[in-house]
Amino acid sequence: MPDWGRTTLELIVQELQHPVRLDESFDRRVMVRVRRAYAERRPRGVAAWIGAAASVTRRPAWAAALAAGIVAVVTVGMLRPRQAVRAGVGPIPVQFVLVAPGARSVAVVGDFNNWGLNDTALVAENHNGVWSVSAPVRAGVHRYAFLVDGKQYVADPTAPRSSGDDFGMPSSALVVEGTTQ
Amino acid sequence: MRTRTARSFLAVLLAGSAFGTAEAQDPRIGARLDAPTRKAISALVDSARAQGIPVEPLMEKVYQGLAMGADGPRIIVAVRSLTTELGSAHRALGAVATTDEIKAAASAMHAGVPAVELGKMKKQSGLRRSLTLPFTVLADIVSRGVPVQTAANAIRSLVGAGAKDKDISDFQRNVSVDIEKGAPPADAAETRAKGAAPAAPAKPERIEKSEQE
Repeated sequence: MPDWGRTTLELIVQELQHPVRLDESFDRRVMVRVRRAYAERRPRGVAAWIGAAASVTRRPAWAAALAAGIVAVVTVGMLRPRQAVRAGVGPIPVQFVLVAPGARSVAVVGDFNNWGLNDTALVAENHNGVWSVSAPVRAGVHRYAFLVDGKQYVADPTAPRSSGDDFGMPSSALVVEGTTQ
Repeated sequence: MRTRTARSFLAVLLAGSAFGTAEAQDPRIGARLDAPTRKAISALVDSARAQGIPVEPLMEKVYQGLAMGADGPRIIVAVRSLTTELGSAHRALGAVATTDEIKAAASAMHAGVPAVELGKMKKQSGLRRSLTLPFTVLADIVSRGVPVQTAANAIRSLVGAGAKDKDISDFQRNVSVDIEKGAPPADAAETRAKGAAPAAPAKPERIEKSEQE
Protein backbone atom coordinates (compact mmCIF):
# COMPACT_ATOMS: atom_id res chain seq x y z
CA MET A 1 0.00 0.00 0.00
CA PRO A 2 1.49 3.47 -0.86
CA ASP A 3 2.41 5.82 1.96
CA TRP A 4 -0.29 8.35 1.18
CA GLY A 5 -2.91 5.62 1.40
CA ARG A 6 -1.64 4.42 4.73
CA THR A 7 -1.68 7.95 6.10
CA THR A 8 -5.26 8.47 5.02
CA LEU A 9 -6.29 5.18 6.62
CA GLU A 10 -4.60 6.06 9.88
CA LEU A 11 -6.40 9.41 9.91
CA ILE A 12 -9.75 7.69 9.44
CA VAL A 13 -9.01 5.24 12.22
CA GLN A 14 -7.97 8.00 14.56
CA GLU A 15 -11.18 9.90 13.81
CA LEU A 16 -13.28 6.84 14.44
CA GLN A 17 -11.49 6.15 17.73
CA HIS A 18 -12.22 9.66 18.89
CA PRO A 19 -15.11 9.53 21.43
CA VAL A 20 -18.34 11.19 20.29
CA ARG A 21 -19.79 13.55 22.81
CA LEU A 22 -23.54 14.03 22.56
CA ASP A 23 -25.52 16.87 23.91
CA GLU A 24 -27.34 15.89 27.15
CA SER A 25 -30.70 16.75 25.58
CA PHE A 26 -30.06 14.53 22.54
CA ASP A 27 -32.03 11.50 23.80
CA ARG A 28 -34.98 13.65 24.77
CA ARG A 29 -35.08 15.40 21.42
CA VAL A 30 -34.93 12.12 19.50
CA MET A 31 -37.77 10.58 21.51
CA VAL A 32 -39.97 13.64 21.03
CA ARG A 33 -39.58 13.29 17.26
CA VAL A 34 -40.23 9.54 17.34
CA ARG A 35 -43.45 9.97 19.36
CA ARG A 36 -44.63 12.72 17.04
CA ALA A 37 -44.03 10.59 13.95
CA TYR A 38 -45.83 7.61 15.50
CA ALA A 39 -48.82 9.76 16.53
CA GLU A 40 -49.20 11.05 12.99
CA ARG A 41 -49.25 7.55 11.46
CA ARG A 42 -51.24 5.77 14.17
CA PRO A 43 -54.69 4.38 13.06
CA ARG A 44 -57.72 5.59 14.97
CA GLY A 45 -61.12 4.14 15.93
CA VAL A 46 -61.87 0.45 15.24
CA ALA A 47 -58.68 -0.01 13.25
CA ALA A 48 -56.67 1.26 16.26
CA TRP A 49 -58.50 -1.14 18.59
CA ILE A 50 -57.82 -4.12 16.29
CA GLY A 51 -54.21 -3.18 15.84
CA ALA A 52 -53.50 -2.32 19.46
CA ALA A 53 -50.95 -4.58 21.08
CA ALA A 54 -51.44 -5.86 24.60
CA SER A 55 -49.68 -8.55 26.51
CA VAL A 56 -51.48 -11.65 27.72
CA THR A 57 -50.26 -14.45 29.92
CA ARG A 58 -49.33 -17.64 28.11
CA ARG A 59 -50.75 -20.76 29.72
CA PRO A 60 -49.70 -24.27 28.71
CA ALA A 61 -53.28 -25.55 28.91
CA TRP A 62 -54.52 -22.95 26.44
CA ALA A 63 -51.62 -23.64 24.13
CA ALA A 64 -52.37 -27.37 24.23
CA ALA A 65 -56.06 -26.73 23.55
CA LEU A 66 -55.21 -24.49 20.61
CA ALA A 67 -52.84 -27.09 19.19
CA ALA A 68 -55.47 -29.82 19.61
CA GLY A 69 -58.02 -27.63 17.85
CA ILE A 70 -55.71 -27.01 14.91
CA VAL A 71 -54.95 -30.73 14.65
CA ALA A 72 -58.68 -31.55 14.75
CA VAL A 73 -59.52 -29.03 12.03
CA VAL A 74 -56.70 -30.26 9.82
CA THR A 75 -57.66 -33.91 10.40
CA VAL A 76 -61.33 -33.34 9.58
CA GLY A 77 -60.28 -31.46 6.46
CA MET A 78 -58.13 -34.37 5.37
CA LEU A 79 -60.93 -36.83 6.02
CA ARG A 80 -63.30 -34.98 3.68
CA PRO A 81 -61.61 -35.33 0.31
CA ARG A 82 -64.83 -35.92 -1.59
CA GLN A 83 -66.30 -32.60 -0.50
CA ALA A 84 -63.13 -30.80 -1.41
CA VAL A 85 -62.88 -32.42 -4.80
CA ARG A 86 -66.52 -31.81 -5.56
CA ALA A 87 -66.29 -28.18 -4.65
CA GLY A 88 -64.02 -27.70 -7.61
CA VAL A 89 -66.23 -29.58 -10.06
CA GLY A 90 -68.34 -27.48 -12.39
CA PRO A 91 -71.90 -28.17 -13.48
CA ILE A 92 -72.48 -31.48 -15.25
CA PRO A 93 -74.99 -31.84 -18.13
CA VAL A 94 -78.07 -33.76 -17.03
CA GLN A 95 -80.88 -34.75 -19.37
CA PHE A 96 -84.42 -34.50 -18.04
CA VAL A 97 -87.11 -36.40 -19.94
CA LEU A 98 -90.86 -36.53 -19.43
CA VAL A 99 -93.38 -38.31 -21.62
CA ALA A 100 -96.42 -36.04 -21.72
CA PRO A 101 -98.17 -36.29 -25.10
CA GLY A 102 -101.02 -33.93 -24.25
CA ALA A 103 -98.91 -31.20 -22.68
CA ARG A 104 -98.55 -27.76 -24.23
CA SER A 105 -95.44 -26.84 -22.24
CA VAL A 106 -93.07 -28.60 -19.86
CA ALA A 107 -90.44 -26.94 -17.68
CA VAL A 108 -88.05 -28.26 -15.06
CA VAL A 109 -87.67 -26.48 -11.75
CA GLY A 110 -85.66 -27.50 -8.73
CA ASP A 111 -82.99 -26.72 -6.21
CA PHE A 112 -80.47 -26.23 -9.01
CA ASN A 113 -82.33 -23.21 -10.40
CA ASN A 114 -83.89 -22.05 -7.13
CA TRP A 115 -87.29 -23.19 -8.33
CA GLY A 116 -87.41 -20.22 -10.67
CA LEU A 117 -90.64 -20.36 -12.63
CA ASN A 118 -90.08 -17.36 -14.81
CA ASP A 119 -86.41 -16.54 -15.07
CA THR A 120 -84.57 -19.83 -14.79
CA ALA A 121 -87.04 -22.60 -15.57
CA LEU A 122 -85.62 -25.12 -18.03
CA VAL A 123 -88.07 -25.34 -20.89
CA ALA A 124 -88.15 -28.77 -22.48
CA GLU A 125 -88.55 -29.36 -26.20
CA ASN A 126 -91.38 -31.50 -27.53
CA HIS A 127 -90.52 -34.51 -29.70
CA ASN A 128 -93.87 -36.18 -30.39
CA GLY A 129 -94.87 -36.06 -26.75
CA VAL A 130 -91.41 -36.84 -25.38
CA TRP A 131 -90.23 -33.66 -23.68
CA SER A 132 -86.55 -33.32 -22.94
CA VAL A 133 -84.00 -30.76 -21.95
CA SER A 134 -80.35 -31.01 -21.08
CA ALA A 135 -79.19 -28.68 -18.37
CA PRO A 136 -75.99 -28.14 -16.42
CA VAL A 137 -76.44 -29.16 -12.80
CA ARG A 138 -73.79 -28.82 -10.13
CA ALA A 139 -72.71 -31.83 -8.12
CA GLY A 140 -74.89 -32.59 -5.14
CA VAL A 141 -78.35 -33.80 -4.23
CA HIS A 142 -81.25 -31.84 -5.67
CA ARG A 143 -85.01 -31.85 -5.39
CA TYR A 144 -86.89 -31.09 -8.61
CA ALA A 145 -90.16 -31.47 -10.49
CA PHE A 146 -91.65 -30.98 -13.94
CA LEU A 147 -94.10 -28.14 -14.36
CA VAL A 148 -96.65 -29.11 -16.99
CA ASP A 149 -98.64 -26.37 -18.74
CA GLY A 150 -97.39 -23.88 -16.16
CA LYS A 151 -99.66 -25.14 -13.40
CA GLN A 152 -99.29 -28.85 -12.63
CA TYR A 153 -96.26 -30.29 -10.85
CA VAL A 154 -95.29 -33.81 -11.86
CA ALA A 155 -92.55 -35.96 -10.33
CA ASP A 156 -90.04 -37.64 -12.61
CA PRO A 157 -91.36 -41.21 -12.90
CA THR A 158 -87.86 -42.55 -13.57
CA ALA A 159 -86.17 -40.94 -10.55
CA PRO A 160 -86.28 -41.57 -6.82
CA ARG A 161 -89.11 -39.80 -5.04
CA SER A 162 -88.31 -36.92 -2.79
CA SER A 163 -89.86 -37.46 0.60
CA GLY A 164 -90.17 -33.77 1.37
CA ASP A 165 -93.48 -33.03 -0.38
CA ASP A 166 -94.43 -30.53 2.31
CA PHE A 167 -96.45 -28.43 -0.07
CA GLY A 168 -98.70 -31.20 -1.34
CA MET A 169 -96.94 -31.47 -4.69
CA PRO A 170 -94.77 -34.40 -5.79
CA SER A 171 -91.08 -33.96 -6.47
CA SER A 172 -88.11 -36.13 -7.30
CA ALA A 173 -84.54 -36.47 -6.05
CA LEU A 174 -81.45 -36.19 -8.22
CA VAL A 175 -77.92 -37.03 -7.12
CA VAL A 176 -75.17 -35.67 -9.33
CA GLU A 177 -71.80 -37.08 -8.50
CA GLY A 178 -68.81 -34.91 -9.22
CA THR A 179 -66.34 -37.76 -9.06
CA THR A 180 -66.35 -41.29 -10.26
CA GLN A 181 -66.35 -44.00 -7.68
CA MET B 1 -48.28 -13.41 22.46
CA ARG B 2 -50.22 -10.31 21.51
CA THR B 3 -53.95 -9.88 21.35
CA ARG B 4 -53.66 -8.25 17.94
CA THR B 5 -54.23 -11.58 16.19
CA ALA B 6 -57.17 -12.46 18.43
CA ARG B 7 -58.80 -9.09 17.86
CA SER B 8 -58.35 -9.35 14.11
CA PHE B 9 -59.90 -12.84 14.20
CA LEU B 10 -62.86 -11.50 16.19
CA ALA B 11 -63.32 -8.70 13.68
CA VAL B 12 -63.36 -11.20 10.81
CA LEU B 13 -65.90 -13.33 12.67
CA LEU B 14 -68.16 -10.35 13.26
CA ALA B 15 -67.92 -9.35 9.60
CA GLY B 16 -68.68 -12.93 8.55
CA SER B 17 -71.75 -13.19 10.76
CA ALA B 18 -73.05 -9.88 9.45
CA PHE B 19 -72.61 -11.15 5.89
CA GLY B 20 -74.35 -14.39 6.79
CA THR B 21 -77.38 -12.55 8.14
CA ALA B 22 -77.54 -10.47 5.00
CA GLU B 23 -77.34 -13.62 2.92
CA ALA B 24 -80.42 -15.00 4.70
CA GLN B 25 -82.37 -11.98 3.59
CA ASP B 26 -82.36 -12.91 -0.07
CA PRO B 27 -83.98 -10.14 -2.12
CA ARG B 28 -85.88 -12.70 -4.17
CA ILE B 29 -87.42 -14.02 -0.97
CA GLY B 30 -87.86 -10.66 0.67
CA ALA B 31 -89.99 -9.37 -2.14
CA ARG B 32 -92.34 -12.33 -2.11
CA LEU B 33 -92.81 -13.09 1.59
CA ASP B 34 -94.78 -11.06 4.09
CA ALA B 35 -92.89 -9.50 6.97
CA PRO B 36 -93.81 -12.02 9.74
CA THR B 37 -92.88 -14.98 7.51
CA ARG B 38 -89.64 -13.32 6.46
CA LYS B 39 -88.75 -12.65 10.09
CA ALA B 40 -89.55 -16.23 11.15
CA ILE B 41 -87.52 -17.71 8.27
CA SER B 42 -84.61 -15.42 9.03
CA ALA B 43 -84.64 -16.50 12.68
CA LEU B 44 -84.71 -20.19 11.71
CA VAL B 45 -81.84 -19.73 9.28
CA ASP B 46 -79.77 -17.82 11.83
CA SER B 47 -80.46 -20.47 14.45
CA ALA B 48 -79.46 -23.25 12.07
CA ARG B 49 -76.27 -21.45 11.12
CA ALA B 50 -75.36 -21.00 14.77
CA GLN B 51 -75.70 -24.75 15.29
CA GLY B 52 -73.51 -25.56 12.31
CA ILE B 53 -76.45 -26.89 10.28
CA PRO B 54 -76.21 -26.25 6.51
CA VAL B 55 -78.62 -23.47 5.62
CA GLU B 56 -78.64 -23.84 1.84
CA PRO B 57 -81.32 -26.59 1.97
CA LEU B 58 -83.50 -24.27 4.07
CA MET B 59 -83.34 -21.55 1.44
CA GLU B 60 -84.12 -24.12 -1.25
CA LYS B 61 -87.18 -25.18 0.73
CA VAL B 62 -88.36 -21.57 0.81
CA TYR B 63 -87.88 -21.29 -2.97
CA GLN B 64 -89.81 -24.52 -3.44
CA GLY B 65 -92.67 -23.28 -1.26
CA LEU B 66 -92.87 -20.03 -3.15
CA ALA B 67 -92.84 -21.82 -6.51
CA MET B 68 -95.61 -24.15 -5.39
CA GLY B 69 -97.75 -21.29 -4.18
CA ALA B 70 -97.62 -22.17 -0.48
CA ASP B 71 -98.62 -19.52 2.04
CA GLY B 72 -96.27 -18.12 4.69
CA PRO B 73 -97.30 -20.31 7.66
CA ARG B 74 -96.95 -23.46 5.57
CA ILE B 75 -93.47 -22.45 4.43
CA ILE B 76 -92.47 -21.74 8.03
CA VAL B 77 -93.68 -25.19 9.14
CA ALA B 78 -91.77 -26.87 6.32
CA VAL B 79 -88.56 -24.95 7.03
CA ARG B 80 -88.83 -25.58 10.77
CA SER B 81 -89.37 -29.30 10.17
CA LEU B 82 -86.41 -29.43 7.80
CA THR B 83 -84.23 -27.55 10.31
CA THR B 84 -85.00 -30.18 12.94
CA GLU B 85 -84.27 -33.03 10.54
CA LEU B 86 -81.05 -31.49 9.30
CA GLY B 87 -79.93 -30.96 12.88
CA SER B 88 -80.68 -34.56 13.83
CA ALA B 89 -78.96 -35.83 10.69
CA HIS B 90 -75.95 -33.62 11.36
CA ARG B 91 -75.59 -34.98 14.89
CA ALA B 92 -76.17 -38.60 13.81
CA LEU B 93 -73.66 -38.58 10.95
CA GLY B 94 -70.94 -36.64 12.72
CA ALA B 95 -68.53 -33.96 11.61
CA VAL B 96 -67.19 -35.95 8.67
CA ALA B 97 -70.52 -35.95 6.82
CA THR B 98 -70.87 -33.74 3.77
CA THR B 99 -73.68 -31.25 3.28
CA ASP B 100 -75.18 -33.52 0.61
CA GLU B 101 -75.13 -36.50 2.94
CA ILE B 102 -76.82 -34.46 5.65
CA LYS B 103 -79.45 -33.25 3.19
CA ALA B 104 -80.10 -36.78 1.91
CA ALA B 105 -80.21 -38.14 5.46
CA ALA B 106 -82.76 -35.47 6.42
CA SER B 107 -84.88 -36.60 3.49
CA ALA B 108 -84.66 -40.20 4.71
CA MET B 109 -85.66 -39.08 8.20
CA HIS B 110 -88.62 -37.24 6.71
CA ALA B 111 -89.67 -40.56 5.16
CA GLY B 112 -89.51 -42.21 8.60
CA VAL B 113 -85.98 -43.60 8.96
CA PRO B 114 -84.60 -43.05 12.47
CA ALA B 115 -81.49 -40.91 12.75
CA VAL B 116 -79.69 -43.60 14.72
CA GLU B 117 -80.06 -45.99 11.78
CA LEU B 118 -78.43 -43.46 9.44
CA GLY B 119 -75.64 -42.90 11.94
CA LYS B 120 -74.93 -46.64 12.03
CA MET B 121 -74.69 -46.74 8.26
CA LYS B 122 -72.26 -43.86 8.18
CA LYS B 123 -70.14 -45.48 10.85
CA GLN B 124 -70.16 -48.79 9.00
CA SER B 125 -69.43 -47.36 5.57
CA GLY B 126 -66.25 -45.59 6.53
CA LEU B 127 -65.21 -42.07 5.79
CA ARG B 128 -64.49 -42.21 2.09
CA ARG B 129 -67.77 -43.70 0.87
CA SER B 130 -70.41 -41.04 0.19
CA LEU B 131 -73.84 -42.09 1.41
CA THR B 132 -75.74 -39.38 -0.44
CA LEU B 133 -77.24 -41.75 -3.01
CA PRO B 134 -77.85 -44.66 -0.58
CA PHE B 135 -79.75 -42.30 1.74
CA THR B 136 -81.73 -40.91 -1.22
CA VAL B 137 -82.68 -44.41 -2.34
CA LEU B 138 -83.54 -45.35 1.23
CA ALA B 139 -85.97 -42.42 1.42
CA ASP B 140 -87.47 -43.44 -1.91
CA ILE B 141 -88.15 -47.09 -1.16
CA VAL B 142 -89.53 -46.30 2.30
CA SER B 143 -91.91 -43.79 0.69
CA ARG B 144 -92.98 -46.60 -1.69
CA GLY B 145 -94.04 -48.77 1.22
CA VAL B 146 -90.96 -50.82 2.06
CA PRO B 147 -90.82 -51.20 5.87
CA VAL B 148 -88.12 -49.00 7.40
CA GLN B 149 -86.10 -51.84 8.89
CA THR B 150 -86.27 -53.91 5.71
CA ALA B 151 -85.19 -50.94 3.64
CA ALA B 152 -82.37 -50.04 6.02
CA ASN B 153 -81.12 -53.63 6.07
CA ALA B 154 -81.17 -53.80 2.27
CA ILE B 155 -79.23 -50.56 1.84
CA ARG B 156 -76.78 -51.47 4.58
CA SER B 157 -76.11 -54.88 3.01
CA LEU B 158 -75.51 -53.26 -0.38
CA VAL B 159 -73.14 -50.63 0.97
CA GLY B 160 -71.41 -53.22 3.12
CA ALA B 161 -70.88 -55.45 0.09
CA GLY B 162 -69.18 -52.63 -1.76
CA ALA B 163 -72.02 -51.75 -4.15
CA LYS B 164 -71.36 -48.69 -6.30
CA ASP B 165 -73.85 -45.87 -6.69
CA LYS B 166 -74.90 -47.30 -10.07
CA ASP B 167 -75.73 -50.66 -8.44
CA ILE B 168 -77.84 -48.90 -5.83
CA SER B 169 -79.61 -46.82 -8.50
CA ASP B 170 -80.42 -50.02 -10.39
CA PHE B 171 -81.69 -51.55 -7.15
CA GLN B 172 -84.04 -48.57 -6.62
CA ARG B 173 -85.32 -48.78 -10.17
CA ASN B 174 -85.97 -52.51 -9.97
CA VAL B 175 -87.73 -52.25 -6.61
CA SER B 176 -89.99 -49.45 -7.85
CA VAL B 177 -90.89 -51.42 -11.01
CA ASP B 178 -91.61 -54.55 -8.96
CA ILE B 179 -93.88 -52.60 -6.61
CA GLU B 180 -95.69 -50.93 -9.51
CA LYS B 181 -96.30 -54.39 -10.96
CA GLY B 182 -97.91 -55.48 -7.71
CA ALA B 183 -95.13 -57.07 -5.68
CA PRO B 184 -95.26 -56.61 -1.89
CA PRO B 185 -92.75 -53.80 -1.16
CA ALA B 186 -90.85 -55.75 1.51
CA ASP B 187 -90.44 -58.78 -0.74
CA ALA B 188 -89.35 -56.61 -3.66
CA ALA B 189 -86.64 -54.92 -1.57
CA GLU B 190 -85.34 -58.13 0.00
CA THR B 191 -85.23 -60.01 -3.29
CA ARG B 192 -83.62 -57.21 -5.28
CA ALA B 193 -81.04 -56.56 -2.55
CA LYS B 194 -79.81 -60.14 -2.90
CA GLY B 195 -79.39 -59.72 -6.64
CA ALA B 196 -77.84 -56.26 -6.51
CA ALA B 197 -75.02 -56.99 -4.08
CA PRO B 198 -71.78 -57.49 -5.99
CA ALA B 199 -70.30 -60.93 -5.62
CA ALA B 200 -67.62 -61.10 -2.99
CA PRO B 201 -64.20 -61.93 -4.45
CA ALA B 202 -63.62 -65.66 -4.26
CA LYS B 203 -61.11 -66.65 -1.63
CA PRO B 204 -58.31 -68.92 -2.81
CA GLU B 205 -58.94 -72.46 -1.78
CA ARG B 206 -56.96 -73.59 1.17
CA ILE B 207 -54.83 -76.63 0.47
CA GLU B 208 -54.57 -78.90 3.41
CA LYS B 209 -51.14 -79.93 4.45
CA SER B 210 -51.97 -83.57 4.27
CA GLU B 211 -53.08 -83.16 0.64
CA GLN B 212 -49.81 -81.45 -0.25
CA GLU B 213 -47.88 -84.24 1.29
